[in-house]
Amino acid sequence: MPTSRRNFLKTSVLASSLLFVPKFLHALDQQGVQQLRNSNGKRLVVVQLGGGNDGLNMVVPFRNDLYYKARPTLGIKEQSGLLTLDQDLAFNPHMTPLKSLYDQGLVGVLNSVGYPNPDRSHFRSMDIWQSGSASDQYVTSGWLGRYLDSSCSACQVPYNGLEVDDTLSLAMKGELRKGLALKSPEKFHQVTQNWFIQQVSGQQAGGSSSELDYLYKTLAETASSADYLYQTSKVYKSAIAYPNTEFGKNLKTTAELINSGIESRVFYVSLTGFDTHVRQQEQQGKLLGDLSGGLGAFVEDLQKSGQLNDTLILVFSEFGRRVTQNASNGTDHGTANNVLLLGGGLRRQGILNAAPDLLNLDQGDLKYQLDFRSVYATVLRDWLGADDQAILGSEFARLPGLV
Amino acid sequence: MTNQQQLQHLYWRAGFGPRPEDVAANLSPRKALRQLLRDAQPYQPLASPGIQAAEMQAMTPTPTPDLRQDPQAPALKKNELTPEQRRQQNRQIRDAFYEMNTGWLARMASSPAQLREKMTFFWHGHFACRVRRPDAALQLNNTIRRLALGKFSDLLLAVSKEPAMLQFLNNQQNRKQRPNENFAREVMELFTIGRGHYTEQDVKEAARAFTGWSYDAQGQFVFREKQHDVGPKTFLGRTGNFGGEDILTIILEQPQTAEFITTKLYRFFVNDTPNPAHPNPAHIQPLAKAFFQSNYDLTDLMERLFTADWFYDAANVGTRIKSPIELLAGIKRTLGVELEDKKPLIVFQKALGQTLFEPPNVAGWAGGRSWIDSSTLLFRLQLPQVLLKNAEISIALKEDENDIDPQQTKADRTFRQPVKAKAKLAPLGLLLAKTPEAQQPAALSQFLLQAPIRPENLQLVQQVAQKAPAEGHLRTMVTSLLSLPEYQLM
Repeated sequence: MPTSRRNFLKTSVLASSLLFVPKFLHALDQQGVQQLRNSNGKRLVVVQLGGGNDGLNMVVPFRNDLYYKARPTLGIKEQSGLLTLDQDLAFNPHMTPLKSLYDQGLVGVLNSVGYPNPDRSHFRSMDIWQSGSASDQYVTSGWLGRYLDSSCSACQVPYNGLEVDDTLSLAMKGELRKGLALKSPEKFHQVTQNWFIQQVSGQQAGGSSSELDYLYKTLAETASSADYLYQTSKVYKSAIAYPNTEFGKNLKTTAELINSGIESRVFYVSLTGFDTHVRQQEQQGKLLGDLSGGLGAFVEDLQKSGQLNDTLILVFSEFGRRVTQNASNGTDHGTANNVLLLGGGLRRQGILNAAPDLLNLDQGDLKYQLDFRSVYATVLRDWLGADDQAILGSEFARLPGLV
Repeated sequence: MTNQQQLQHLYWRAGFGPRPEDVAANLSPRKALRQLLRDAQPYQPLASPGIQAAEMQAMTPTPTPDLRQDPQAPALKKNELTPEQRRQQNRQIRDAFYEMNTGWLARMASSPAQLREKMTFFWHGHFACRVRRPDAALQLNNTIRRLALGKFSDLLLAVSKEPAMLQFLNNQQNRKQRPNENFAREVMELFTIGRGHYTEQDVKEAARAFTGWSYDAQGQFVFREKQHDVGPKTFLGRTGNFGGEDILTIILEQPQTAEFITTKLYRFFVNDTPNPAHPNPAHIQPLAKAFFQSNYDLTDLMERLFTADWFYDAANVGTRIKSPIELLAGIKRTLGVELEDKKPLIVFQKALGQTLFEPPNVAGWAGGRSWIDSSTLLFRLQLPQVLLKNAEISIALKEDENDIDPQQTKADRTFRQPVKAKAKLAPLGLLLAKTPEAQQPAALSQFLLQAPIRPENLQLVQQVAQKAPAEGHLRTMVTSLLSLPEYQLM
């Protein structure tokens, strides 16, 4: 860029940080908001349960003898406070808030979600779920990142995604666009307020496609987004009581971002610790309590501000666990698992497909009955209005009339 | 381009960056390359006493008569251990990996065998493999190091027989009655010839040839004859009772394999930008041809690459985004940075997206712009403050970044402390001794940055340096130059 133009930009009022705010973050930019609304205004919140959550003890098949036979001490008995749903399934006793959401018709439960030739390694299976690949495919971008890439040309507004964490997941990395990772708007802002970083990030990226300009562009967008998110998120402070846990705090931050009017289409939050090889009941119970309490408060928060109907929450884990308990009162890595969907826009609720088939196992593991990419395809096309086939690389049968 | 810039370019690409004394020596790039090649000749395996201890205590391999089982698995079977044993085992495995990781990083920063270590690093991403056994991972790493500059054919065969690789790609489950195609597929798709040059039927036939390639409880390659399919196979148009070695030989007979490997090396050592002119076929084709004709001689190939005129073209200098390891090793090498406690080096790798011995999958790290997102970029720009000025940084890693030890608590995953680090800045001072003070920021930027510094950044560095007390002048200039986007490039 010629120096004269750079100087002009540096001195003019246009050089305020807002100039560099990517359009998708402009709630104040009326045109931008208008276009987002045109693209239907729906948002997705993905909740990742890291470590392999045991679906069978989350959504318990409590009328199935095979379940208790495989899990003589780990199986959860009806009288221990199981929260009965439909089709002989029940939530884990620690999930009272989620049960209440279920009763209000805000929850859909999918059973035995997985993929062919499942991989039982945490990192590889998570890689598969986050990239949306097949198990013998290596894809270096994430399914939500590719959604961010795919902004339709008619909309002119690129979509944006926020992950409430210090680092960004593969799921949120596209080929062209990437989500922003922020633990909180305050912390994110604070880092960019470092004097030196501020000086450098205030510089204009040149117009070329060079790597250097790419770095400057990313930096300028990061700093201005941090600024914008910090200013805007002050608008709304949640009055709802969230569980005092890391996950609870992250969901609160997410709700505050949404309720402040930040027009991101995708939010990503994680809850970890589900790798329960040993003494599972205590550990998983605590985590499911955390999950359920957090989601209960989050849904209430969005409900109060009228955002729930435009919000879909998807809860997944990289795999379920073995059907049979191990010798340490825990479970080892398994395959197919439950996916939960929550929100005011669900058109079908309750138990959405058949309960896990414990008779017909593959070497002790559940066979998947629904490919996770069918769930992604449904969410992408029917909820976010995106081109699922382009994003996922092939066509997966969508779940009709779900969202 | 000045001689100094060319020299620095060579040191960045053929190693982990220049030291002040390398620039002071002012060799011609050709002489420097000869020196690099000479220094890379000795092979010294990476060792770690910590691994042996961990091996003995936690992972004594238990031979298993049941060949359907992974022979390495029983010793690691989680459900046969008490919770305390399990925790201890996880800790030992983690510590062993940490030691290997930081040991290698230290070697990248200080070994005279820069080219061998750089090649090892390249092959580490090419033959990407991630296993839970530190000893198996180290053995593969040392095999790669030993053959990194030899014949690619030797390297390929050796890697294919490494227990870590056979396990990672499920070849221990590849048996006559029930072939597992994973290894056969990746050998072709990722390691040698590339997609589009073989059919699905070739994968099936190759998998049959690799049946019986396995390893024993001691981590040695074993050919299990009973599991091997001796029948005739038709592979890439040829028919015979092929074994695994034959398949690799046939793959190497395809000139496409030489081209595939050359292209990947070119992307790593010369230019990886998505520009359609790169990789440049006019550069690649002659190299690939010579590589093929030399029977895959890697030293010959690298020498040709580093002496090509185009290697020093402006389009190839300061235009590649450093990988996290290159960034860290480079800071350590150029400035002699040493950490009192090495663990933060692991945290930095995880936060930046590249941890040695933990590639994301068999395809390795994607590289290029995929290293950069808002959080990794901010972290990169803060890192020099942390290493050179003991600035505090707070970052919580994700659990999936801790797969080696998945049960780490939130507190364990959170890093928040000043790093106690020492840097050797005296050699830099010497390098600048004859430069008038006013020109020192510019001279320093020419040494530390491979991309030309923006004029406003030079001003900024001058401004920051002026504010610093005299004794902190150099340190402040270095820290700010390293905190620039320009420093992310090499």
